[in-house]
Amino acid sequence: MMVEYVGIDLGTTLSGLAYLKPDGNPEIVPNSDGERLTPSVVYFDAHEDIKLVGAAARDGGDPDRTVFQIKRHMDDPEYLVTMDGREWTPSEISALILAKLKRDCSKIVGDITEVVITVPANFNELARKSTIAAAEMAGLKVRRLVNEPTAAAVYYAHSQGVQGRILVFDLGGGTLDTTILEVDGDNIRILTSEGARHLGGSNFDDLLLAAYDEQYQKQVKAPLYNDERQRRRALQASEDAKKMLSKLQRVSDTVGNDASGLARIDLSRETFENLIRRMMTRAVMLVEQALDSAMLKVGDIEHVVLVGGSTRIPKVRQMLEKHFGTPPKTCGNVDECVALGAALFARKSGRISEVCNQSYGTLAMVYNAATGEEKVQNSIVIPKNTPIPCSCTQMYVTSEDNERVIEVDVTQGEDSDPRFVDVIGRITLEVPPNRPKGCEVTVTFSYDENQRVRALVVDKQSGRSREVALTYKGAGVLSDDELQRRGSYLKAMRIE
Amino acid sequence: MFKKVLLSISKSLGRQSQPSAPATRKPLARPPADTSAAAPARTTAPAQNQTAEDLLGIDAKMGKEQIRDHLKLLYRRYNRAASSLDHAVRSEADSMLDAIVAVREKHFGEI
Repeated sequence: MMVEYVGIDLGTTLSGLAYLKPDGNPEIVPNSDGERLTPSVVYFDAHEDIKLVGAAARDGGDPDRTVFQIKRHMDDPEYLVTMDGREWTPSEISALILAKLKRDCSKIVGDITEVVITVPANFNELARKSTIAAAEMAGLKVRRLVNEPTAAAVYYAHSQGVQGRILVFDLGGGTLDTTILEVDGDNIRILTSEGARHLGGSNFDDLLLAAYDEQYQKQVKAPLYNDERQRRRALQASEDAKKMLSKLQRVSDTVGNDASGLARIDLSRETFENLIRRMMTRAVMLVEQALDSAMLKVGDIEHVVLVGGSTRIPKVRQMLEKHFGTPPKTCGNVDECVALGAALFARKSGRISEVCNQSYGTLAMVYNAATGEEKVQNSIVIPKNTPIPCSCTQMYVTSEDNERVIEVDVTQGEDSDPRFVDVIGRITLEVPPNRPKGCEVTVTFSYDENQRVRALVVDKQSGRSREVALTYKGAGVLSDDELQRRGSYLKAMRIE
Repeated sequence: MFKKVLLSISKSLGRQSQPSAPATRKPLARPPADTSAAAPARTTAPAQNQTAEDLLGIDAKMGKEQIRDHLKLLYRRYNRAASSLDHAVRSEADSMLDAIVAVREKHFGEI
């Protein structure tokens, strides 16, 4: 038996898998440990050839052999986790999490071969490719990648009939994503998506841990933790306190370590809100950025919907209510709506029009004939928020006499200042000799539904052209052969 | 009318008579002087005695709306930079985002 429509939320701190039931409603599938959401944590046991994924990994093992929040590194081509002399890419670690979900959930709903996986709206090309690679190594074919706020909007539209112009505020464990979209029956049109990394529940936990440490040191005159294991325990205590402060005005806790003893820590909701205040300001600025990107005002938004466990913090809801003049909507279990929406998306994908989440361009010296001004700029070819799939072309000229190789750097980012964009690739095109500078070159970028970029460079005079799909190179990026090899290796692994 | 001349990192560095940057991993061009009149924000580490306003290029003559627009521009820039492939840029982006928030709170109140 094979299940047809499956969605996976591969989260920074929690991951979930949902499927579409015959009645058309999505349902979360628990893992073999009975959890509806699986902590995105991997533990490498030192004594047995086994990888633990989930709560057992998070709570039980040596923290030096445990990998947390690997999603934060999915866009880093050089990042590797070294364990027992072997190097693991972020893709492979994520593949272990996906493999656990696939194996456990297949026992309940049937064989899972094709999935929709969600990613943060601000995931760049490399992070998206890494996610697809992770799925392939776990034995999953990716039907579509979908942005997390999009998946959540699909779920809200389905479950609560939320229609009109909606702002999705997705504050999870690691990132904040804000998406503005229009829902009209079964049709969804994305207007814009904005994201902020390192703005999530785990950042709040770190702030709270620092406050715990400060209080502890005042009482005991020694640090709260002396090694990573102690730090993890204290971090768990601060996370528990954060959750309690969503329900209570005050909490008390006893924390400490074997060397220095215990101390009582008192914390108020007001203190916690003060600790996270600046992060909340960043969150509001991201909302304003999304409105500006979509050329909308606060009053143009009909509904604000909440996604992600961190939206349970009362201050988040108050802040949004104050900003929009209306209380935001919640679906109850805000941790699950992305996975549930992804399962719905698996069937509905034909009725959703998305946009390019980044701008893509090239570096060029731009001459303004009217003013005589010249400056090096990031010249955008595909602007952010262009509906996808799309293909855009810009005309350039060559820079040198007798230029034998045309070089086109592919940039990612909206800024016109080249210092603030990433060069994610380069295309080179050999051209005939003895040509003057100023020969025309067209650069066409194409962007597909899975947000991957192809670039075509055409030299008009010679007719020569080159087209490439952008690829990343780095220690943390696997070649196709290596991907296949490691995927085979992973299939034989014991993952619990 | 604008004319755009292709100028890859290696060619722009070649113009400055410096060794070519590798094709991968170094994300930021070091082109000829940027004559842009927008966003005076910097990419170097803040000097010790600089205020947040100094760091962000905000002077006393700017009106509230001008400050708001300027902060929005900088926020957009440095929020994006926080996802940069360049670790140094990411690190600087955090400092600048802190400064942006501090100035915003000072001029427009706390959340």
